[in-house]
Amino acid sequence: MAQLGAVSQATPRRPRVRLTQLLERLLPKLALAPTVVLTLVGIYGFMIWTGALSLTSSTFLPSYEFAGFEQYQRLFANDRWMTACQNLAIFGALFIGFCLAIGCFLAILLDQRIRHEGMIRTIYLYPMALSMIVTGAVWQWILNPSLGLEKLMHDWGWTSFQFDWLTDTDMVIYTIVIAAVWQASGFVMALFLAGLRGIDGAIINAARVDGASLPRIYLRIVLPAMRPVFFSSVMVLAHIAIKSFDLVTAMTSGGPGYASDLPALFMYSFTFTRGQMGMGAASAMLMLGALLAILVPYLYSELRGARNA
Amino acid sequence: MAQLQLKGIRKTYGNAAQETLKGIDINIESGEFLILVGPSGCGKSTLMNSIAGLESITEGGIYIDGEDVTHAEPKDRDIAMVFQSYALYPTMTVRENIAFGLKIRRMPKNEIETEVQRVAKLLQIEPLLDRKPAKLSGGQQQRVAMGRALARRPKIYLFDEPLSNLDAKLRVEMRTEIKRLHQRLGTTIVYVTHDQIEAMTLADRIAVIKDGELLQLGTPKEVYESPATRYVASFIGSPAMSFIPLQVEGEAGNLRGRLKSADGDEMFVPLPEKLSAWHGREIHLGIRPEHITQPLAHKQDQATIASGIFRIEVTEPTGPDVMALTHINGTEVHCRLDPDHTVAPGQPAELMIDMSRAVFFEAGQEARIDA
Amino acid sequence: MLDSTRKALTPSRVLVYATLLLACLVYLIPVFVMLITSFKTTGDIRTGNLMSMPESWSLEAWSKAWSSACTGVECNGVNGFFWNSLKMTIPAVLISTGLGAINGYVLSKWRFRGSDLFFSMLLFGCFIPFQVVLLPMASTLGKLGLANTTPGLVLVHVVYGVAFTTLFFRNFYVGVPDALVKAARLDGAGFVTIFVRIMLPLSTPIFMVCFIWQFTQIWNDFLFGVVFASGDSQPITVGLNNLVNTSTGVKEYNVDMAAAMIAALPTLLVYILAGKYFIRGLTSGSVKG
Repeated sequence: MAQLGAVSQATPRRPRVRLTQLLERLLPKLALAPTVVLTLVGIYGFMIWTGALSLTSSTFLPSYEFAGFEQYQRLFANDRWMTACQNLAIFGALFIGFCLAIGCFLAILLDQRIRHEGMIRTIYLYPMALSMIVTGAVWQWILNPSLGLEKLMHDWGWTSFQFDWLTDTDMVIYTIVIAAVWQASGFVMALFLAGLRGIDGAIINAARVDGASLPRIYLRIVLPAMRPVFFSSVMVLAHIAIKSFDLVTAMTSGGPGYASDLPALFMYSFTFTRGQMGMGAASAMLMLGALLAILVPYLYSELRGARNA
Repeated sequence: MAQLQLKGIRKTYGNAAQETLKGIDINIESGEFLILVGPSGCGKSTLMNSIAGLESITEGGIYIDGEDVTHAEPKDRDIAMVFQSYALYPTMTVRENIAFGLKIRRMPKNEIETEVQRVAKLLQIEPLLDRKPAKLSGGQQQRVAMGRALARRPKIYLFDEPLSNLDAKLRVEMRTEIKRLHQRLGTTIVYVTHDQIEAMTLADRIAVIKDGELLQLGTPKEVYESPATRYVASFIGSPAMSFIPLQVEGEAGNLRGRLKSADGDEMFVPLPEKLSAWHGREIHLGIRPEHITQPLAHKQDQATIASGIFRIEVTEPTGPDVMALTHINGTEVHCRLDPDHTVAPGQPAELMIDMSRAVFFEAGQEARIDA
Repeated sequence: MLDSTRKALTPSRVLVYATLLLACLVYLIPVFVMLITSFKTTGDIRTGNLMSMPESWSLEAWSKAWSSACTGVECNGVNGFFWNSLKMTIPAVLISTGLGAINGYVLSKWRFRGSDLFFSMLLFGCFIPFQVVLLPMASTLGKLGLANTTPGLVLVHVVYGVAFTTLFFRNFYVGVPDALVKAARLDGAGFVTIFVRIMLPLSTPIFMVCFIWQFTQIWNDFLFGVVFASGDSQPITVGLNNLVNTSTGVKEYNVDMAAAMIAALPTLLVYILAGKYFIRGLTSGSVKG
């Protein structure tokens, strides 16, 4: 022990660290620094900034006069915001539900040793490569009440066919669901297919040896194993839904009136075209809150699962 | 070739409550082959990484040829390492792999080529020089990994379980090869393994480490024949040493212990005088299988020999020997018999115990009591 | 996963194939409609229907969409927007991917106190709705003199893209054995040498994934384009939206569809040529690391 003490005294913590050595040790941190700055400012700083703005009475120009939760109160008194929130609930629920159902169904079908599987998968997934604006433009044309689907059906002999949801205040939000499901369901299929491929084949074989039928194997063994894929899909889809802005802009611009408005669109138009900066900031903070309300329990269960594993 | 000193090395990770290394002191002589052995998680790999400079230590010092390198960067320590996974650069050919360290050290091109050729010849990998690692078998990758280390002619070589990814036959071959290389080049080697046979066959000295503590440092013979603790005794040797509980009886000058077979037959074994302080108390007798055998004529008359009848429960012929299992004082005991000496499972047989090779431990404790 | 032998064509398998094929049609029809409509004349649109072939294949709509269609007040087509998008996308993809590679390398192989915490914070950045940063960003770009400029848009896309690229590279580099880095350090290589000589040569697949992901994301972005750009720096998505939703004059669906094709072609092309990497990016980017 005496010798030990002598050693640590004779050699101070870092004897003559050379400059190059110091630089070498600092390099990893220096390399990460630009991103740290960009992230801290661009994400966290700006988030706080928006939060602050939402508590002021800013309109056309930012003012830093504290106004408490006035903007939030105005928001909830605003018809258009309430419609937007309602629409988000309808849109989100249907969008997530249909994407999951279709994606899961197609993934199971594709997992049956299908010929040309690669090509089919490519076809299902290509809409994800398109801009939502393109998707919106196409579906606006297809669903056009006079020249689109309706005319096609009439020409094909179904003369009583009527489809005017795009101009129907009550139905317009469903047209957005159709276009969004068309775009994203293939993606969910890909997630589920990757999950199915990750299941240990030996388990399936064991179940077959035990005499289980194919539907039973899927119901009792495969689908329960897809829980993580299911939850991460829900996360991604919810994320897409809450941020949804481009699709509705291109397809309906929120109309007719503001019947197909969504929070993201509301935020944009109040902040940048109507000069209601404080209200816009408040609506953005609520969107963040909605996302956190979904994200935090998910992350919590993920972390807890990781700890238990 | 160089001398390596480890002085009081301590390491604690982050805020961990437990120290990973609890003060390791080892002097490794120039040209010595030192093996660090211990169960997984004992800290031997941490110690290895600390020597290499890949991890910092919390306390203590590392000296190469007397020079303090405790805080030196890995590249300034002049150490080469062979990894368990070989860690060959996958995008480089074998030649480039071997040359990489030399290139970085700015060795002239023609000298690099000479060096690569020398190493390739030494390890018989010349035909592989232009292949990528993925195209090599496990054994070939192992050779390349050693070649990469040899090319640099470093002061010290570190081997981190280099053979554990090879199949059994290749492992034995490579073991011999490493031993031959060491004898030929006389390099200083620190070698980590959890395989006690590797440790016994290769090492000049073995350091047995458990829970971050150095339990024993000695030649393979010392560690095998005179283990410092019960753990060392049970870790080295296969099948493991048996520990038989017994009472110290008799009187001074004639201490003895009673052994009882499963059938109730009794015999006495002589105990060394050192145990007189333990008279009347229970101790554990540690004995290796090869010291419980069939009666051997040339040993029969020695004072430290005792014989008795025990029922053989299971026999396992291994070729050169037959391992036999019996119960003594209620404990399973392994014996090593000559295959020509027929014993039948379930039948009693006469066994001879060579007490001159026995070691003793306090019941339930780690430390030797007869050393 | 179920069986190694090829199955016979039983009725149930016919049903499976039929369903899959029907789904293929559903996914393909919108683009098919878009394509044939873009080759129609205005007369064709009035007389035909969605699925009818053009009477005569005409490039008129394409040329109008490219150079003379009205996008709001101006009537110069979408070509200017197209070039803007290109000028914005290429540097943004290169910078964000480069930063991501370096970050991923540090966060996987040179971890230090706090680096894991930073990675979590960065990951959270992938999840925020960008609406919460729009206002401050607009104000900051104004102060930097970058408002309504292409460099400004590049900056925005780098800031909000780097979380994804870092995630890609970090997860990829975590799979590269640490022993490789250790071996290289003992061979005398430092931070930069190990990155350039050991890691980068291994990284071609993840660079492909990252390039394609970022290209698709940035090319297709509308939100940042519409908020932070104006006039001569607006990207193609904004141009297309202006064209489709312009309220002046008669609606010309053939021109709309031609413009939509022009906006979609670069990403579609990338998808057709390197779909494998795109899918890998999608699944790895969202399933988590």
